[in-house]
Amino acid sequence: MFKAKFKATIVTVLLFIGLVGLCSVRAMGGPQSSAAQAEPAKETWRKEFDDVCSKTQDAMTFSQEELTDLIRRCDALLPQIEKLDESLKKVYMERLRKCRGLYVYVLDAKRNEKK
Amino acid sequence: MNKKIFIALALILVFCGSALSQTGVKKKRPLPYEYGRVIIDNYSDKADLAPVVFEHWIHRSMFTCRVCHVDVGFAMKAGATGITAADNARGYYCGSCHNGKRVVDGKTVFQACSRKVNLEDEKRCLRCHSYGQKVASDFDFFKFSEPLPKERFGNGVDWEKSEELGLIKPASFLEGASTSKGNAFVVQKDFALNPKVEGMPDIIFSHRKHTVWNGCELCHPDIFMGVKRGTVKYSMVDISQGKSCGACHTTVAFPLTDCQRCHSKPVV
Repeated sequence: MFKAKFKATIVTVLLFIGLVGLCSVRAMGGPQSSAAQAEPAKETWRKEFDDVCSKTQDAMTFSQEELTDLIRRCDALLPQIEKLDESLKKVYMERLRKCRGLYVYVLDAKRNEKK
Repeated sequence: MNKKIFIALALILVFCGSALSQTGVKKKRPLPYEYGRVIIDNYSDKADLAPVVFEHWIHRSMFTCRVCHVDVGFAMKAGATGITAADNARGYYCGSCHNGKRVVDGKTVFQACSRKVNLEDEKRCLRCHSYGQKVASDFDFFKFSEPLPKERFGNGVDWEKSEELGLIKPASFLEGASTSKGNAFVVQKDFALNPKVEGMPDIIFSHRKHTVWNGCELCHPDIFMGVKRGTVKYSMVDISQGKSCGACHTTVAFPLTDCQRCHSKPVV
């Protein structure tokens, strides 16, 4: 009886230690993995920015639906750019503002044409 | 008698009042090499450095307006960008080109700002932080402008013709900053704008000419926000104060004194 209890306690303690170990490994690896994730994330926002804002020269040819979609994509980029470092944020917030502003402007012009 | 004195005093007051109410003093017309010059003094003073002297003429001969004011992100008003040395050192704003690595015309472009500065760097700092300093530039305006077609005002250079003749080749793409080459714009046809003053020639506005260097988002909607032609009224007073056309045509592009460049439709 005592032996069985002792065994159960040891197993529980071992399990607890294992669990703590796992958690600490995860916690220690946390920042590293998030930093590793940040790099591709940075790439992703830049690719999306380049894709969305490289179309400004064709803004006049887009339909209202296409322009609305581009504006939506600009809005989706904003929170990602807000998280960037100071210089990047300053540059790309302004670039995004200009790019989005143009799409909104052309969309307004197209809506106005139809009236 | 008292009435006469009163009238005379009133006239003097009215005359002096109107004379004093004229705001400011007459602006000195900049010399050709000064036209487009921007003095940037956001943080220089705090860093114990002279303000930065930026010459538009040399930069505009190498890049279109769009590259710097859209792709690199410089604001359209002097001092409005809030450039810091850290921004430049990280490779943004001036540091987009002035990074000590980029090669232009076979020359390595000097680095604008760096994180660590020693005494030897002082000369490099002075290349930009040169306001009020005696600094010899690498570029001589008169030598540079000598072969270019002439104009009467501004820099005294016909920039448009200079490009047409292939004498300058402003790049429309900057590696690392630009998202597109920006050279195939779909724009409205040229149109005429009727001035308020009778007998004044109509303004022929060319979107094509403007988009070649500026793109679309440089002007719309920040400078020109009206979506329907004719809804926004423009006045020469507003323009001379830097609004609408004046955003560029009082600072860098040919100035307002060159009336015929815009009011170009022959009066029938």
